[in-house]
Amino acid sequence: MADWQIELIKVVFIWAWALIIAVVMTWVERRASAMMQDRLGPNRAGPFGLLQPLADGIKLFTKEDIIPERARKILFVLGPPLFALPAFSAYAVIPFGDKIVIGGKEIILQVSDVNIGFLFILALSAIAVYGLVIGGWASNSKYSILGGLRATAQLISYEVPMGLALLTIVLLDGTFSLREIVLQQQGTFLGFLPNWGFFKQPLGFIIFLVAAYAEANRVPFDLPECESELVTGYHTEYGSMRLGLYLFGEYVNLVTLSAITVCLFFGGWSLPYVDMSKFLGPVSYGIASFFVFFFKQAFFLFLFVWVRWTVPRFRYDQLMGLGWKALIPLGLVNLFITALLVQLTT
Amino acid sequence: MDYYFIIFAIMAVGAAIFTITVRDALPSALGLLTVFIALSALYLHLHAPLIAIFQVSIYAGAILVLVVFVIMLLITPDEQLGSPQKNISYRSMGAILGAYLIALLIIGMKGINQIVSRKGLPDGFGHPSLVGELFFKHYLLHFEMASVLLLVALIAAIYLAKKKL
Repeated sequence: MADWQIELIKVVFIWAWALIIAVVMTWVERRASAMMQDRLGPNRAGPFGLLQPLADGIKLFTKEDIIPERARKILFVLGPPLFALPAFSAYAVIPFGDKIVIGGKEIILQVSDVNIGFLFILALSAIAVYGLVIGGWASNSKYSILGGLRATAQLISYEVPMGLALLTIVLLDGTFSLREIVLQQQGTFLGFLPNWGFFKQPLGFIIFLVAAYAEANRVPFDLPECESELVTGYHTEYGSMRLGLYLFGEYVNLVTLSAITVCLFFGGWSLPYVDMSKFLGPVSYGIASFFVFFFKQAFFLFLFVWVRWTVPRFRYDQLMGLGWKALIPLGLVNLFITALLVQLTT
Repeated sequence: MDYYFIIFAIMAVGAAIFTITVRDALPSALGLLTVFIALSALYLHLHAPLIAIFQVSIYAGAILVLVVFVIMLLITPDEQLGSPQKNISYRSMGAILGAYLIALLIIGMKGINQIVSRKGLPDGFGHPSLVGELFFKHYLLHFEMASVLLLVALIAAIYLAKKKL
């Protein structure tokens, strides 16, 4: 196979995979919430209601596509794809496994190992906000504009602590490449802990996780779309598959954020204490590393659901206060201490 | 012919013209966003990925988002911007400033023939660590001056925004 064919297969595979996880996540969300509230949840379509996402998809596709009369038509149509695309693109730089050897050819399980992979993800998360803003403004409705305003303010505020938390990892590992960051997390730390970013940067991890929940617009930070005050905010006026794209983009965002968490703080595809490449063949090692990565990612995906159905929503001023008065100073202090330690030890 | 350059150059210039001619605030801002993204694609083409990413994450991701935020606060989707500036002294001042900028551009373009396109790039060109080394070894003073300038602007903004300190 030529190189470009391999690249193409990787791109198609990872997009399809992210899509499938996102689809399954909609089902997990509803079943898990039902479990936590002592309900049954969707259980009619297929075994355990597994075909429910498919039924939802058919419903969204066949519904009438309504564009409000006073909406700005072009911008209204442009909003949902602008929101969903950056979420997908971020997957291009995430290493979803180590490497696999097929027919004497070594294939790394990552679409592209660029030396600025890390900044690429930050830039994309900055672009994603335009989808919300355009959708909210173009709808020409009070709720939507309020939702869009909240989304902008929230995403700008929480990008700063997120960047500060991620910078500590860059300081420790000395690289922007996600693959190299994962490779540096193998082995042990202090003799008994896995050499993961989580153990070296516990505070950085907590700041990152809180900021990630805010970036993903999830409870407790779902102020831009809170149902009880804003009637789902920026996508109030949307229906049919345009609404579907917004909802779906959000789940793809969760998938990407969990993957980044695993890469930066939990050792990516490597197992703690065990070097899988020693006793597995080249092909089975590749597959095993892929699944190790996936199971770690699945835990963080479930954590998103778990938190959503456990804690209540913040008030808007509390949200801003937490971002600017707690997370940013904490992030700065953490960065300073890390820089000092790195300077003293090397 | 460098098609990559031509496509993105046309995109950047077209979006820039759209930005200053359209009478709607938010579409105008989106035109500016397109300019930033096209420029960032051109930086990538020049083997400067770090600058390309900064172009997107700082200009598009932070500065323009603030502009959009203000637009959303002040202008509803039904409104359009008012008629063009009528004051003759403002217009003539704008013309003088514009002519000055164009003159600067033309002076800058004088040396364009002397630029020889080098085939091979130096080792590790555009790598973040090299950019960092340039910043903190050769241009440290310039870097610090810029940050002090930004700090002054920040303090001034807080002073203006808060009546009682």
